[in-house]
Amino acid sequence: MSAPVEAHTLPNGMLVLTREAHSAPVATSWVWYRVGSRNEPSGQTGISHWVEHMLFKGTPSVPRGEFDRLIARNGGTFNGFTWIDYTAYYETLPADRIEIGLRIEADRMVNALFDPPEVESERTVIISELEGYANYPETWLDEAVKAIAFTAHPYHHPVIGYKSDLLAMTREELYSYYQTFYTPNNAVLVLVGDFDTDVMLRTVEGYFADLPAGPALPRTRAVEPEPQGERRVIIRRPGPAEYVQIGYLAPDCRSKDFAPMAVLDAVLSGARSLNFMGGGAQTNRSARLYRALVETGLAASAYSSYLPTRDPFLFELSATVSADHTAAEVEGALLREVDKIQQEGVAADELARVLKQVRAQVAYSGESVTGQAMQLGMWEVLDSYRRTESLLDELAAVTADDVRRVARQYLTERRRVVGHFVPTDEESPA
Amino acid sequence: MSTHRSGIAGATRHVLANGMVALIQRNPTTPTVSVRGELRIGAVHEPASQSGLAVFTGAALIRGAGERSYQQIVAETEARGCSVNAGGGLHSSGFGAKALTEDLPLVIEILADMLARPTFPAHEVEKLRAQFLLGLRESEQETGTQASRAARELLYPPEHPYSRLSSGSVATVQDLGRDDLLRFHEGYHPAGGAVAVVGDVEPAAVIELLEQYLGGWARPGEPPALDLAPVPPLETIRRRDIPMAGKVQSDLIWAVHGLRRSDPDFYAAMLANMILGRLGLGGRLGENVREKQGMAYYCYSGLEADVGTGPWSAVAGVNPANVERAIAAVLHEVAQFVAEGPTEQELADARSYLTGSMVLGLETNDGIAGTLLAIERYGLGLDFVERYPAIIEGVSREQIVETARRYLTTDRYVLAVAGPPASGGEGTGA
Repeated sequence: MSAPVEAHTLPNGMLVLTREAHSAPVATSWVWYRVGSRNEPSGQTGISHWVEHMLFKGTPSVPRGEFDRLIARNGGTFNGFTWIDYTAYYETLPADRIEIGLRIEADRMVNALFDPPEVESERTVIISELEGYANYPETWLDEAVKAIAFTAHPYHHPVIGYKSDLLAMTREELYSYYQTFYTPNNAVLVLVGDFDTDVMLRTVEGYFADLPAGPALPRTRAVEPEPQGERRVIIRRPGPAEYVQIGYLAPDCRSKDFAPMAVLDAVLSGARSLNFMGGGAQTNRSARLYRALVETGLAASAYSSYLPTRDPFLFELSATVSADHTAAEVEGALLREVDKIQQEGVAADELARVLKQVRAQVAYSGESVTGQAMQLGMWEVLDSYRRTESLLDELAAVTADDVRRVARQYLTERRRVVGHFVPTDEESPA
Repeated sequence: MSTHRSGIAGATRHVLANGMVALIQRNPTTPTVSVRGELRIGAVHEPASQSGLAVFTGAALIRGAGERSYQQIVAETEARGCSVNAGGGLHSSGFGAKALTEDLPLVIEILADMLARPTFPAHEVEKLRAQFLLGLRESEQETGTQASRAARELLYPPEHPYSRLSSGSVATVQDLGRDDLLRFHEGYHPAGGAVAVVGDVEPAAVIELLEQYLGGWARPGEPPALDLAPVPPLETIRRRDIPMAGKVQSDLIWAVHGLRRSDPDFYAAMLANMILGRLGLGGRLGENVREKQGMAYYCYSGLEADVGTGPWSAVAGVNPANVERAIAAVLHEVAQFVAEGPTEQELADARSYLTGSMVLGLETNDGIAGTLLAIERYGLGLDFVERYPAIIEGVSREQIVETARRYLTTDRYVLAVAGPPASGGEGTGA
C-alpha cells in the first residue's frame, strides 16, 4: 500500500527517514527531538515547551515573524508541539516548496536567537496559555492525578510547567537547555510526500550534514517505584459537573505487554485514531465503557486511554458524571468494568473488532502525508520507526488470555490513583 | 514525480431522482472512502423558544433508524472500523461516514435510513437530552462560550437566529421533546441537499447505490424557506462584561456585522480578514497582542459569511488585568488597517497563501468531500478550484481597503468579555 521507509544516518548522527507518497502534490517535513517534560529538573518545569516557543522567535537569517510568513507565502501550514517524551516541528507544503521546511529546521536547530526581550514577551504568552487551560475543571483534575501518580519520575508535572517556574526561568537556562538537546544526534528528520528520494537526500545533506554533533545527552534516570497502595485526590472548585479520573501505572511502549494493554484499551473504548490531529473513525460507542456508563445514564462520557510512552506512564479511565449521579457511583462502575475483564476475560469477537478498527484507523491516517510522518517520527523517538510496520502484527498476536493477564497484573488497587472533581457551591452565572 | 490535477473539475455531479445532488470523486490512492452531505435546514429555521432543536434533531438521527436501533447501528459500523454520524448546524444539517471502501454500501444504507426513516425512540431522546444538558452546563461555564453568546446577543435582534448559539441553552433544550424532533424532521427535504462521496470508488456504482438507498426518499413541497429578519446596523458601541467564578483567564470578543458569502465584496473581505487576523500567528492582531505585547496565547479574527451577514470578529484570551489593554490593541490594529490598508507585501503573502495552500486541503478524502460540498452549497461550479487563483489575484488593494472601511467600524461595534470578576486574578505584567 504505502511505499517503504528509507532510513539514512548523516555523519553527525542525525537520522533521516523518507517515504515517497505521490497521491497528492504535497510533502511534509518534520523534525523530532528526543526531549520533553520527562527531561526537566524540578524548578525548571515547562522549559521544554518554552524552548519550543523560542524556536518560532527568530534566527539571524530568519527574523521573528518572517518565519511564519515564509511558510504562508508558500501555501504551507506549520506547527510545533511539546509532549512528555518529545518535541516536534513540522511544515506541510506544496511538494515543490518543501525545501523551505528543510531550510527553516536546519537553521533553527542551531541558530535560534533567544533574544532577551523575546524571552520576556514569551513568558507572558506561555503564562496566558497556562491560564487558558486553568479555565477548565478537567485540567485541575488531570494535573492532580498525574502529580500523585508519579513520586520520583518527572511525568509528575504538567508539560506547560508550574507558573512559579515560568515566572522564575532565565534566558540562560532556556538557551543552555536548547544547546544541550537541540543537536543533530538528538534529532530525527522525517519526510513524506511527493518527491524523489535521491534528490531529496542530497538536499537534506546540503542543509544538515555540516551541523556539528553535540555531546552525549544527559539521561533521565528516574524510575517510578512500584506503588504500594491506592492514592486518592479530590479537587473542589467551581465547575459544571463532577468528573472522575483513574490512572494505573502501566508499561512503556517497549514492554512486551504494550500490545495486550493497547488491546485492552481498545476493548474498553474503541481503537482510536493514530493521529493526534484526529480525523479517524469514532469507534467508542459500541465498546464496553460507553455501554456500561453512557448507555446506562451514569455518565455523559466515559473513556479509557493508553499511549505509547518512553517510560511507564498511566493507563487511564475517565468520565463526566451525569447530573443525577455521583463520582462515587461512576468510579464504582468504571472499576466494575475492569474487574469484569479480570474475572471473565474478553471475547474473541471483541479482539477481531479491535483489529479491524486498527487496520481502518491506519488506512485513514495514511491518507495524509502529515499523518504518516507523525507516526514514523513518534515511534522513532520512542523506540523505532519500524514499530509502525510491526504494530498490526503485534496486536494480531494478542490473545484473550494476554488481555486478561495484563488487566490482572497492572490494573490493581495498589497501582492506581483515583481523582474526583467536585464542584463547589460558589455561584457562577449560567 | 507525478503529475496531478486538482481532480475536482473532473468530479461527477449527478442529480438523484429526489432532487438531491450527488458529487463523486475517485481517489484511488487509499482503500478508504469518505461520505459527507448536508440538507438545507438548520438552527436558522427554528423558533427562539426552541433554540437547539436543529442540533438536537441532527444528533438524534443515529439513535434509531429504519429497522436498526442505535446500539445496532454503532455495533455494526464500528465492528468494521467505519463510523456514521449526523448533526445539525446553523444553516444546514450534516451527515457523514468514514469507511474502508468495501463497507460503502453499509454506511450509505444506514445514512439513508437516518435521513429518511429515523425512529427517535423516546428513551434515546431522553438519554440524548440529558447528555446535551450536561454538555450545555459545561459550555455555559466556558469563558469563550459566554463571550460568544453575549457578542451575538449584542449584534443581532432577538428575532434573528444569529442572535443565538445553535447549540441552544439549558433553558430551551430541557423543554424539547420527541414530538418537537419529529416535527423538525418533517422539514428535512432532499431538494437543495447534497452528498459527496470520495475514495477508491467507481462513480457509476456509487450513483447506483445512492439512487437505490436515497433516491427514493421523497418529500412533498419544497425545502423550508429562509427568511432572515433584517439586521439593524450598529449605531454605537455596545459592551457586556460577564463575571465568572473559578476562572483564571478572560475571553474577549470584538465584533461587527460582516457580509454574505454571495456578496461581491466577499473575496476582498476574506483577504482583509486574512491579513488583519489570520496569516502566520494571527495576522496583525497576533503580531501586536501576542508577539509584541506578550498578552495572549491566542488572538485572531474570524469572518462568518454564509446565507446572512454573519459576525466579523476578533477574539483573544488574556489575563483579566490585561483586558483593557488587549481591547485597545485590537481597536488600534483595526483602525490602522482601515486607515492604511494592507502593505503590498502582506497582500502578496495573503494571495499566495490562499492559492498555494489549496492543494493541502485536497489531500484527504474528507478534505475533497468538504470542498465539493462547499462548491455545491455556494453554487461555485466544479471548475472553482481552477478559477480560484484568478479570483484571488483579481481582488485589488483598493477593493480590500474599501471593504475594510465599509465593515470594520471602530466607532460602532460590540464587545463581550467573560472571565474572572474584576477584582480577581493576578496580572502577569508584560
